[in-house]
Amino acid sequence: MRSIKITGAREHNLKDISLSLPRRKLVVITGVSGSGKSSLAFDTLFAEGQRRYMESLSAYARQFVDKIDKPDVDSIEGLSPSVSVDQKTFQRNPRSTVGTITEIYDFLRLLYARLGKPHCPDCGIEITAQSLDRMIERVSGLGDGERVYIYSPIIRGRKGEYKKELDDLRREGFLRVRIDGEVRDLDEEIKIERQKKHTIELLVDVIALRGGERTERIADSLRLALRRSGGVARVETASGEGMTLSDKFACPQCGMSYPEISPRLFSFNSPYGSCPECQGMGETWFCDPELFIDEELSLEEGAIIPWSGSNYFKNILENVAAHYAIDMTVPFKKLPAKAKKIIINGSGGEDILQEGKGRQGYKAP
Amino acid sequence: MRTTVCPVCNGARLRKEALSVLIDGKSIYDVASMSALKVLEFIGKLSLTPREKAIGERVVTEIVSRLTFLTEVGLGYLALDRTAPSLSGGEAQRIRLATQVGSKLTGITYVLDEPTIGLHPRDNRRLIDTLKSLRDIGNTVIVVEHDEETIRSADFIVDIGPGAGEKGGRVVAEGGVDDIIKKRDSLTGGYLSGDITIPVPAIRRQPKGHIKIEGASEHNLKNIDVSFPLGVFTCVTGVSGSGKSTLVIDTLYNALGKKLYRSKENVGRHDKLSGDDGIDKVVNVEQTPIGRTPRSNPATYTGIFTPIRDLFAMLPQANIKGYKPGRFSFNVKEGRCPVCLGHGVVKIEMHFLPDVYVTCERCGGNRYNSETLEVKYNGKNIAEVLDMTVSEAAEFFKNVPHIKSKLDVLEAVGLEYIRLGQPATTLSGGEAQRIKLSRELSRRATGKTLYILDEPTIGLHFDDVRKLIDVLQRLTEMGNTVIVIEHNLDVIKSADHIIDMGPEGGEAGGYVVAEGTPEEVAANRTSSTGSFLREILAPQRIHSKGMN
Repeated sequence: MRSIKITGAREHNLKDISLSLPRRKLVVITGVSGSGKSSLAFDTLFAEGQRRYMESLSAYARQFVDKIDKPDVDSIEGLSPSVSVDQKTFQRNPRSTVGTITEIYDFLRLLYARLGKPHCPDCGIEITAQSLDRMIERVSGLGDGERVYIYSPIIRGRKGEYKKELDDLRREGFLRVRIDGEVRDLDEEIKIERQKKHTIELLVDVIALRGGERTERIADSLRLALRRSGGVARVETASGEGMTLSDKFACPQCGMSYPEISPRLFSFNSPYGSCPECQGMGETWFCDPELFIDEELSLEEGAIIPWSGSNYFKNILENVAAHYAIDMTVPFKKLPAKAKKIIINGSGGEDILQEGKGRQGYKAP
Repeated sequence: MRTTVCPVCNGARLRKEALSVLIDGKSIYDVASMSALKVLEFIGKLSLTPREKAIGERVVTEIVSRLTFLTEVGLGYLALDRTAPSLSGGEAQRIRLATQVGSKLTGITYVLDEPTIGLHPRDNRRLIDTLKSLRDIGNTVIVVEHDEETIRSADFIVDIGPGAGEKGGRVVAEGGVDDIIKKRDSLTGGYLSGDITIPVPAIRRQPKGHIKIEGASEHNLKNIDVSFPLGVFTCVTGVSGSGKSTLVIDTLYNALGKKLYRSKENVGRHDKLSGDDGIDKVVNVEQTPIGRTPRSNPATYTGIFTPIRDLFAMLPQANIKGYKPGRFSFNVKEGRCPVCLGHGVVKIEMHFLPDVYVTCERCGGNRYNSETLEVKYNGKNIAEVLDMTVSEAAEFFKNVPHIKSKLDVLEAVGLEYIRLGQPATTLSGGEAQRIKLSRELSRRATGKTLYILDEPTIGLHFDDVRKLIDVLQRLTEMGNTVIVIEHNLDVIKSADHIIDMGPEGGEAGGYVVAEGTPEEVAANRTSSTGSFLREILAPQRIHSKGMN
């Protein structure tokens, strides 16, 4: 089939026209506004292509699809499945962006989930999650003959005496801890200030690295360190060089733990990724006084636009004004800032007796 | 209530954990807020370890190919986080086009509606290349289009016409460009061959004053001072995304709206607005439909229907029966057909098959009940009047001046062919716009009105553009100020004053590149609009000299 043959098109103002259009070519339909171009291209050609496709579906499936009338045309031959790219049928949802429509954002999410390097949102340090094997590899790689200290940070920057915790460690037979950077023997009595923030790291093991023979011990010590701290181990050499290891995505400094890094974390249309404040819209609603207050009028004249004309609200307003000695007769813009604040935001839960039919108490608005 | 950027995520939309996952120091939001071109650059410069490369390679390929399609359709300036509602119709369509090209399907018939809308001539070429590549992989591409360059690039052209409405609907010419040009009665052919042109005005009007905006800095505007001349026809030009709409709509229009009507729209950032004493009204004529319900029509919108109904109510027949003007509205219970409730059609639900609309049996589609239709003016009832075209009605009401004058204006904007009762839903965007303009034209001229039009030639044929320019010139002649945002060169060359924004879209835009009369801008070597104008003004000037 080399062409699309249209016979007897009469949709809208088309005058029973017949023509054939070459296939696999760039065809332009032109004419003055209202001449029937769209009637031919969309209401006849595209509508028929789409209708034929729909016809091929089962009646059950068709009930879910919008109705498509048969265009007013005798016959169309050689029509292939048609796709319309018009300007009207387009997503107008603010959750759709250029990135999501083009699917570029979906691929970006995948890229970030696989290759992105997580950082602690509060401390800004890079966070890495590693398998135990990889950790052992890194510790062994610190160098032959080095002495490495393996710490388990059990308390990170929190207030308290931690008497019980230290006693527990003592009983379990641990020897040393590092408190706020200073190494202490658990044999001595340790007193720490209750009102200050402390970091307590348990010294799990000291290992002298010699070739590959110590991997079993490194593994055991790391496992212990990770277990005691909930997933973080600190490894330092005698020279002070160090690294923080974690088997989860957790911040070595503050311990903030990361959710699983999957593509959905980067989707603002998923509760796993969206900003909790704006639910992923990027903007929040706020009440702009400019929209409901006419600054030129006084309260008595109805400065609060939606309340003007209501005796009920006027009563409340008068009561409140009397209570806080607000002048109801000056234009709103001339009121003192504090009075404006009371009117707009309320005074914060103070009960004011509202004289009324039922003598009920109303709060300041 | 008003919206503000979310204080927690600062508009990034994501929780802080998601924003702390970085690639080359950038979060996913940092990347999404860049323009497509910048993202392409960023992805190209990624430093990846061999392991990362193995993981990310396919994803990167997908991203790069999609970004490339996006830039090929001239949308490289769009940031990935631009929301769908903030896109213009043309941009949205080109995005869909880009995704279609990416799908690499073959054997499909693509039907496109004016894909060049809102494109600067500079970006046209790239779009046409995209259409051609869609064709070359084995698809049929059918485009409804007025753009000259696209028409010239077509393998096959169908010219529908010759006129609009009832005067259209025939194939006037078909074939290649040469075939179209040879056809004597093809308007398109006439414009293509250069036999018909929109003339460049001989004189440019002198401004009566200026409105000045100082320190405009909304979006990408670079703290610029702009003055818009009053009492003339000004055209604001520039590539897509260069800040035209931000300057004219967000800043000028909203600031004036706030001043004149106390409108509550957010006004674009600027330091000072002055010289607006000469303006007491500002009107933004949009191409949005005049109504989305079939109960709205040109007669109701332009207000012609009210005097027509009053006229019918004053007829002796109506008087005897005590009919009020409301009786002659198909939206009011007394007068309308009780079966279809004034719709003219009845919907029959077919459950799992499409609903079927049939003409109402009772009224035969004329929407009124028989008692109402008994009232006749000069032998025609109200339904027959609504079925008249504008020109027929103008003849019919020639003795009723206040109806005739409104109909005359509709004729003047080139809408003589529409029917008074044609449902608003069946009017094209261009027709709706001209109906709105006609309403403005029929108002008493205060000479102090500022009209703003954002890309009014969208969807218009050469000949419709000519009509539109005529209307705009008439509005200006009445002493008003007209400011048009436009890419169409015929409009640009017809303006008295041009403000060219640029030089590029997005962050690289926001400056005024050139301003002055079309001739002055054409002489400006730094302006891309200028270089297009040079081509179009030069031969015509020489031509006119030759004739003298």
